[in-house]
Amino acid sequence: MHSQVLRFTALLFAVALMGMSFDILAHGVDDKTRVFLEQNTGVQFIPFIYIGAKHMFTGYDHILFLVGVIFFLYRSRDVLLYISMFTIGHSITLLWGVLGDIQVNPYLIDAIIGFSVIYKGFDNLGGFKRLLGKQPSTKLAVLIFGLFHGFGLATKLQEFELDSDGLVANMIAFNIGVELGQFMALAFIVIAINFWRKSPSFQRFAITTNTMLMSAGLMLVGLQLTGYYLS
Amino acid sequence: MTPPIVSTKTLLKSTIVATIIALIVLVVFILPAEYNIDPTHIGHRLGLTALAHHDDEAESKADIIVNAKQGQQVIEVTVPAGKGIEYKFQMAQYEKMTYEWITDGEPLYFDLHGEPQGDTTGYFESYAIATLSAMKGSFTSPFAGSHGWYWKNNSDKPVAIQLIVEGQYEVIGLK
Repeated sequence: MHSQVLRFTALLFAVALMGMSFDILAHGVDDKTRVFLEQNTGVQFIPFIYIGAKHMFTGYDHILFLVGVIFFLYRSRDVLLYISMFTIGHSITLLWGVLGDIQVNPYLIDAIIGFSVIYKGFDNLGGFKRLLGKQPSTKLAVLIFGLFHGFGLATKLQEFELDSDGLVANMIAFNIGVELGQFMALAFIVIAINFWRKSPSFQRFAITTNTMLMSAGLMLVGLQLTGYYLS
Repeated sequence: MTPPIVSTKTLLKSTIVATIIALIVLVVFILPAEYNIDPTHIGHRLGLTALAHHDDEAESKADIIVNAKQGQQVIEVTVPAGKGIEYKFQMAQYEKMTYEWITDGEPLYFDLHGEPQGDTTGYFESYAIATLSAMKGSFTSPFAGSHGWYWKNNSDKPVAIQLIVEGQYEVIGLK
């Protein structure tokens, strides 16, 4: 079970490594934010918190994955546990990616993030149990995909061509913002799902919802891979 | 509440439906709107391809409006004996540059100046004129246009200059 997850991770890392390049591809940053950041150097704590929170709150790829993760978690303790795994994962690679100046192609990393949505939708349908006879560790999967989501966040921050002046403080502010944005988004999702779970339609639509998650993930992968081939 | 384990048939059906929906939405809506790729021509009829065009324009406009802050750049030029050269940078209004230049020892007459964009009258504004072998400073461009140095070598030997610049600009180079 674990070896399959690990083999799979190795494959994803290989894909990401192939895409590593030294030119930063412009993509996903709005111009106003870019102009602000390029003209203001030094520590910009609150602005970076805001950018991080906005990116997470409006980042449908991260949100879709989280919806998939907490879809069948009804105990608050489990929600906290899984979200902590995700947070640990993406914080590690966000800090590592920016501080180590690791250039991962943003299209490929976003394609992997899209893939994480497909994976979770398929997993929620019990697809792995059906296909492999066993379900790969869900906690490990959240942690590993968290690592990839963190690289995605790092590429967003690297697009700003940040000044080394105040980089660490700004990056930590961005990370805090990411957690705030995630917390806000989750608050809505958890309330909505818990409310919905009480209704009998939840079980009926569980298959439809997770099919749609897979479909949305496929769209994200298609969108990002097309971007990659065109760039 | 445990996740359902669906039958193989349902799983297959879900996967196929997910793929078909994703393909249709991608080809008909997303690719035309994001990348102007429109094999079905439906995106064009829906006006979605205009979004992709708009994005391209916005991006190139943004490039003109603001130059990214450049890291330190070292430029080496040589002024031939008895000749003058000009080395310029394209800058938008209020963009900043810090600079430092040093010759191989010989002082040179120089004029640090800017020419407004699109000007055909030959007008220019000088920011500093002197004869020195080194200078350090910074300036903010008062108007959009080409800004930089004219160095004149009055000696009978070529003089090498090392110019170090940092800030918001696009290199035009020797003129």
